[in-house]
Amino acid sequence: MTHIWKTRPWFWVAVLAAIALVLPLVVSNPFAVDIFIRVLLFAFIGVAWNLMGGYAKQLSLGHAAYFGLGAYTSTILLIRFGISPWIGIIAGGVVAMLASLPIGALCFRLRGPYFAIATIATAQVLMLLFLKFRDFAWGAEGTTLPNLGDAPLMMQFDSKAAYYYLALALLALGLAITYRIERSWMGFYLVAVGEDEDAAEAIGVDTTKIKRHIYLISAFLTALGGTFYIQYIYFIDPNTAFSFNISVEAALVSIVGGIGTLWGPVVGTILLEATSALLQSWFGSGHGGVQLTVYSLILVSVILWRPSGLIGVFSDLYRRFTYAGAARAKEVPLDG
Amino acid sequence: MLATLAQAVVNGLLIGGIYALVSIGVTLIFGVVKIVNFAQGEFVMIGMYISFFLASTFGVDPLLSLLISMPSLFAIGVLLQHFLIRRVLALGDMPQIFLTFALSLLLMNIALLLFTANYRTVQTPYSELTFHIGPVYFAVAKLIAFAIAMLLSALLYLFLHGTDLGKAMRAAAQNREVAMLMGINPDRVFCVAVGVALALAGAAGSLLMPFYPAYPLVGQIFVLMAFVAVVLGTLGNITGALIASLMMGVAESLGVQFVGADSGLIVVFVMLLLTLAFRPNGLFGGWAR
Repeated sequence: MTHIWKTRPWFWVAVLAAIALVLPLVVSNPFAVDIFIRVLLFAFIGVAWNLMGGYAKQLSLGHAAYFGLGAYTSTILLIRFGISPWIGIIAGGVVAMLASLPIGALCFRLRGPYFAIATIATAQVLMLLFLKFRDFAWGAEGTTLPNLGDAPLMMQFDSKAAYYYLALALLALGLAITYRIERSWMGFYLVAVGEDEDAAEAIGVDTTKIKRHIYLISAFLTALGGTFYIQYIYFIDPNTAFSFNISVEAALVSIVGGIGTLWGPVVGTILLEATSALLQSWFGSGHGGVQLTVYSLILVSVILWRPSGLIGVFSDLYRRFTYAGAARAKEVPLDG
Repeated sequence: MLATLAQAVVNGLLIGGIYALVSIGVTLIFGVVKIVNFAQGEFVMIGMYISFFLASTFGVDPLLSLLISMPSLFAIGVLLQHFLIRRVLALGDMPQIFLTFALSLLLMNIALLLFTANYRTVQTPYSELTFHIGPVYFAVAKLIAFAIAMLLSALLYLFLHGTDLGKAMRAAAQNREVAMLMGINPDRVFCVAVGVALALAGAAGSLLMPFYPAYPLVGQIFVLMAFVAVVLGTLGNITGALIASLMMGVAESLGVQFVGADSGLIVVFVMLLLTLAFRPNGLFGGWAR
C-alpha cells in the first residue's frame, strides 16, 4: 500500500497551492505580506527569465528592458489616456514582445558571455533614453501614479492581500506556461539549443526561430511583472523600472534555485528573499552592501559546489524520502 | 568650433588610454583562458583604493604606487585563476559567466561596506596642472596616465611576442590541446595571463587616481567601456582592443561635447549595437580566436 504523498508530485503542488492561497488570510502583518509579494513577483520574473536563460541557456542580463517597457507602457496609458492598467498590462507585454524582436536579432549574433553583455547594453540604452526624453515620460524625476483608492478596475486595491493574489496568479501563469513548454517539442528544442547550439542546428532545429520565439514569451511575461510592480509601488522612474538589479535578480534566483527546472526560480527566490529579510532584521536597512555581499557569496558557493542549483538538494531529499515506498517516484521527481 | 572639436578628441584619446588598459586585460583573459572577466572593473577599483590609501597614509605619489598596485593585483590574479576560475573551466557558459559576475558584485559590495560610498580623491602637485598647444589644453595628469598606459601596452606586446612565456601564452590561446602537446603547462600560462590582466587593471586604477575619484562602483563604467571596446576590436585581439578603446574614448567625449553631458554612454552603447548589427566579429582580425 503506497501513500498518495509518496507517489504523486501533484499532491505536493496542491498542498503548496493551498498554503499559498490561505497565507494572506493567516498572516496579516503588512511587512510580512510585502515580503510574500516580493517573493511571488521575483519568482515570476525568475520563471520568465528561466524560460530563455534556463532552458535555452541564453543568459540574458538585460531583462530589466522588458520589465521597464511593461511598466512604462501601462503607466503612460494610464496617466496620459486614462486607460486601465488591466489593458495596459497586456499592451506592455505586446510592446515588450515587439522590442524583443530587434533586440534579439542583434544580441543573438553573439553567444555566451557576449550575449549577456549585449543584453546589458540594450537595457541600459533604454534606461538612458527614458532618462533623457523628459517630455515623453517624465525623465529622471519619474512620476507618482494617481491614487484612486480601492479601484479594482484600475488595478488598485486597498488591501495588500489583493496584490498578493494578483502576484500569485502571475506566478501560476508563468509556471503553467513553463510546464506546457517543458513537455512540448519546443521544450526539447530549447534544451537542445541550450546543450549545444551547433549540434541542434545540425540535426535540423531552427535555432534562430526557436530563440526568437522563447524570447517573445519571456519578454511578454517579464513586462507583466513590470506593470504589476509599478501598480504596487505607485511610482515610476527610469532607475526603478530599468534597474540593473531587476536583471540581476531574475538571473540570480533562477541560478541559485536551479536553471532549466520548473521550480528552480521559486526555490531560489524563497531562499534569497528569506535571507534578505533576515539580514534586514539583523542589520537594519541602513547598511548598503550587506544584502548583495551575502547574495554574491551564495551565488559563488552555488556555482562552485552545486552548479545545477539548490533544487537538486530538495529533489534528492524528496527522492530519498519516497524511494522506499515507491520506485515510481524516481521517474517523476518534483522538478519534472 | 574646430578648437572645441580638437579639445574633445584630445580629452577622449587621453581617457581612452585608460580604457585601453582595462580592455586589453579583458581581451587577454578572454583570448587565453576563454573567460569573460566581469570583475575587471572591480580590480581597477581595488587599484584605485590601494593608491588612495598609500597616498593618504604614507603620502606616496599615485604614480609611484604603481610599483605596489601592479604586483599586488598580479598576485590576486594568480590566486583568482588558481582557486576560482580554474574550477569552472570545464563547466558550461552559466558558471563561467556568473562566477566572475558574482565576484564583481562581491567586491563592489565589500568595498561599499569597508570604504562607504564616499568619493575619495588624491591631490597631487600635477593634478590641476595644464598646458596648451594652440587653443587645445592638455591636463598633465591625464597625459602622464596616457603615456604610461601606452608604454605598458607596448611592453605587453613585446612580452607576448618576444619572450618564451609570452609565446606560450599565444600558443595556448590559439590551440590549448596542441600547446599542451608542445610541453606548455596551461595552468601556469593561464595564471600568468590572468595575473598580467589584473596588473593592467591595477595600473589603470593607480593612473586614474590623480584626476579621478575612487568609489566602490567606479569599476562599472570602465568595464562597460572595456566590453564594448573588446567587441568592437574583435574578441581576443589585443591591438584591436587598444585601437577600439581609443575610439571609444573619443566617441564618448564627442558625445558629451555635442549631444549632451549625459549622452556619452548612449553614444558608446549605440556604437556597440551598430557594431553588432553590421560587424558582429569586430573591426579587426584576431591573433586568438
